[in-house]
Amino acid sequence: MKSIRELWEESLKKYEGLPAVRWLNKKEICEKTYDELGNDIVSIRKGLNAEGFSEAHIALIGNSSACWISAYLGITTGQNTAVPLDAGLPAEDLTELLNRADAEALFLGEKQAVLASQVKKECPKIRRIWLLSDVYIEDALTLSDLMAAGTRAEDITGKNEDDVATIIYTSGTTGKSKGVMLTQGNLAHNVESVDYTVEPGAVLLSVLPIHHAFCLVMDWLKGFSLGAVICVNDSYMHMVRNMGIFKPEVMLMVPLMIETIYKKLTAANPLIPKKLVANKAFGGRLNIIFTGGAHLDPFYIDKFGEYGIDVLEGYGMSECSPVISSNSPADHKPGSIGRPLKNVELKFENGEILVRGSSVMKGYYKMPEETAKALKDGWLHTGDKGYIDEDGYLFINGRVKNLIIMSNGENISPEEIENKLALHPLVGEVIVTGENNGLVARIYPDEDVIKSKRLKEDNIKVALQAVIDAYNRVQPSYRQITGLIVRKEPFPRNATGKIKRQEAAA
Amino acid sequence: MDKLTQFKEIIAQYCQVAVEDMKEDMRFREDLGFSSLDFMSFLGEIEDDFDVELDEEKLIDINTIGEAMNMINGLQGA
Repeated sequence: MKSIRELWEESLKKYEGLPAVRWLNKKEICEKTYDELGNDIVSIRKGLNAEGFSEAHIALIGNSSACWISAYLGITTGQNTAVPLDAGLPAEDLTELLNRADAEALFLGEKQAVLASQVKKECPKIRRIWLLSDVYIEDALTLSDLMAAGTRAEDITGKNEDDVATIIYTSGTTGKSKGVMLTQGNLAHNVESVDYTVEPGAVLLSVLPIHHAFCLVMDWLKGFSLGAVICVNDSYMHMVRNMGIFKPEVMLMVPLMIETIYKKLTAANPLIPKKLVANKAFGGRLNIIFTGGAHLDPFYIDKFGEYGIDVLEGYGMSECSPVISSNSPADHKPGSIGRPLKNVELKFENGEILVRGSSVMKGYYKMPEETAKALKDGWLHTGDKGYIDEDGYLFINGRVKNLIIMSNGENISPEEIENKLALHPLVGEVIVTGENNGLVARIYPDEDVIKSKRLKEDNIKVALQAVIDAYNRVQPSYRQITGLIVRKEPFPRNATGKIKRQEAAA
Repeated sequence: MDKLTQFKEIIAQYCQVAVEDMKEDMRFREDLGFSSLDFMSFLGEIEDDFDVELDEEKLIDINTIGEAMNMINGLQGA
């Protein structure tokens, strides 16, 4: 397979009448088959062309849904590039990303509809906004309008293997998120190279955010390539309930989810057989959980095994579309992150893992310096340290880059948060670190501001907590600061004047 | 079992604090060690067990056991 178009059309041919997507509307289970979804995708593709969008960057902001994935495939099976963004980001970050990505159109989830007027004002390049539902608001059209526009239009061809299909934004170590350009071939090769299969009609429950490469590629694109039914989890709040409703066989999770489910499992009466507990917690048919995004303690692999569930850990990053290595049902070693995919070459430079292969990105969008730093002679510098054991399994044992990896798989750039907090006049110096799966801000308050406002010691902490609270209110939960330490001394600095992060956090 | 005890027993599934040691001003994240996902999963159980429907947008203001209990009482019209 060389493109998303080829991947999708092969799936359509093989699995035409099978269900492709299921979701809940209130308590009713709704469904679209592969051919129904295919019709929507063609209409969107033709609609975009009829509306004059070709070679355009088109953004998506919304939660997982059949409409979201139809729009994504409508964009990427035609002549356009999709830019999925995190619907949980503050509005100002989203408008900044839309501008930086040169997005010309936007698909917006119903819950995010309130953004439409701000986007119209602040993103001059955006020519159209379509809501991913049939609700009408002043500043947007609907997906149905777009599909209607394509009804009488001719269909168009897809893009080539080397053309950019998707730009995915990921945390940058310099405090500015970077747009990872993934080609049609990058994504198709990653789908093809991950070694697992299920029978057509197998049920997957998708619980991760769809704008993440891991979810988008491995739940949705890989799932479609196997003829799976992909069920939409409408909220983390209802994940356990939805497992009971959809009865999935396979799920992708981040370690945080596995940890939460384990707490629930162990809270059950120990006299009840584990099989029964698992049936109630997982819906009765779950046998495989793929996990990635952050390291999982092998303890959980053993424990879930007792409940009849194989937890298979993998490793990847957006820059690699995203999977680099993975354990598989037939070939796994607990504690490792599996063998490298067949389309991937690995080597090590001072312990750092370097990756080359057909899933490695084209570069960062409009960031030539960052691209040159990350990609040297075709080798991607992952920022992770690791080794391959004598049996060929990859292990991670450290990081080169200054990124905080939360157990929900989110990569946090401390500088990005520090830059935001430092905008407040009371914040003199700040360092953010990850501790106990939360973020801690150590702040040295600005002495001049303390003097001019005549703040006493107690008031300083209250005032700084107010700064943190104001920041937290507009951030998604994984980027909120959960601890504050007020410093009485400035941070130690090195010869070039940079704060010594390791010492500062001690 | 009264409502408050039932509520605390659900909380106890996610943390190491015993039901009898739980106080209303205890914060889910800082005092009980909830992760963001523990909290969401806990709220899902509350919906099922107390037959209420929670609005995710309003959950941002819930930090303590007391605040969560008040929210449920409000939704049940108690």
